[in-house]
Amino acid sequence: MNITPCSIKTLKGLYDISGVEVGQHFYWQIGGFQIHAQVLITSWVVITILLGSVIIAVRNPQTIPTDGQNFFEYVLEFIRDLSKTQIGEEYGPWVPFIGTMFLFIFVSNWSGALLPWKIIELPHGELAAPTNDINTTVALALLTSAAYFYAGLSKKGLSYFEKYIKPTPILLPINILEDFTKPLSLSFRLFGNILADELVVVVLVSLVPLVVPIPVMFLGLFTSGIQALIFATLAAAYIGESMEGHH
Amino acid sequence: MKNVTHSFVFLAHWPFAGSFGLNTDILATNLINLTVVVGVLIFFGKGVLKDLLDNRKQRILSTIRNSEELRRGTLEQLEKARIRLQKVELEADEYRMNGYSEIEREKENLINATSISLEQLEKSKNETLYFEKQRAMNQVRQRVFQQAVQGALGTLNSCLNTELHFRTIRANIGILGAIEWKR
Repeated sequence: MNITPCSIKTLKGLYDISGVEVGQHFYWQIGGFQIHAQVLITSWVVITILLGSVIIAVRNPQTIPTDGQNFFEYVLEFIRDLSKTQIGEEYGPWVPFIGTMFLFIFVSNWSGALLPWKIIELPHGELAAPTNDINTTVALALLTSAAYFYAGLSKKGLSYFEKYIKPTPILLPINILEDFTKPLSLSFRLFGNILADELVVVVLVSLVPLVVPIPVMFLGLFTSGIQALIFATLAAAYIGESMEGHH
Repeated sequence: MKNVTHSFVFLAHWPFAGSFGLNTDILATNLINLTVVVGVLIFFGKGVLKDLLDNRKQRILSTIRNSEELRRGTLEQLEKARIRLQKVELEADEYRMNGYSEIEREKENLINATSISLEQLEKSKNETLYFEKQRAMNQVRQRVFQQAVQGALGTLNSCLNTELHFRTIRANIGILGAIEWKR
């Protein structure tokens, strides 16, 4: 290295205030795979939050709902409305899937925006929202793909594949391409939005630590919610699309 | 927080096992901003959420109340209908009883009338029989008498010779004479 110790020191002092980390991961080795441990840890926290709050809220269900139960029933109603408008009449079996997608992504995004993850220091990398990592979003998007294939195949059998040559066989390549672009767009949209949100906040914090990041953080909250809604809506729409056109 | 230069320096040899720790730098962990954001979120979100949930609760309550009222109304109607049913059943019973007694009476009347006419018929039949018998007996008697008289006439005509004639005349004269003598 060609830098003098003095300048290194100055730079280090500067970077201590304004350091931004991208692409740093805390790896675990599990069975020959490198696992992004920070994603796992935050996912577990998110799962714990979801399961714990649900268990506490519906532990003692009442006819006239108490506050927690009321809130969760409201959320359930919201998810059911969403799946009903997107999937149509036979939305019932898909409510758990759509709900899981929506709640997991939503709580993940908001945990990234609201929880002070950075208090905990990892040996390498840092904690952030699980959806901040492309692996999580790709996994969710592939699950969605599998779900809509399953929905179409179980509904129509092999005649599901007729939709590839509709309305004309000329569109066959595009229709096949769509099956790849759907998970791609889903995963990259979510990943990019959340990563961008958090990066903007981190950069702003490193520049001006106080007050200035707050509007951006609110924007991040808004975007996170919207992204969760978009992901769930699109997943439901894909499922509905693959099930429609059959009587 | 580690910085970019560090990561470049350590790129060749990442420590796979490191140590967890607490970052106590308030500015770097963005704690103040987070607190403000969470505070504002709770401050404003609470009202909105409370309104939303209260509305929902009220809706549920009113739905339950409505259905309760409907249920009560239906129960009342059911009760009314049951009472009416009972009344109608009673009336029907009454009518049935009346009908039965009417029928019984009618039957008795009919039986009485029939037996009376039957008796009259019997009587007239008996009378007719009696008269027929009487007539037959009279006819038989007449016939027998006639035959007897004819037989007697025949016998008289065949058996009456002169001597007997005289004897009879004498006997009659003797009877007549005795009657005259007695006078």
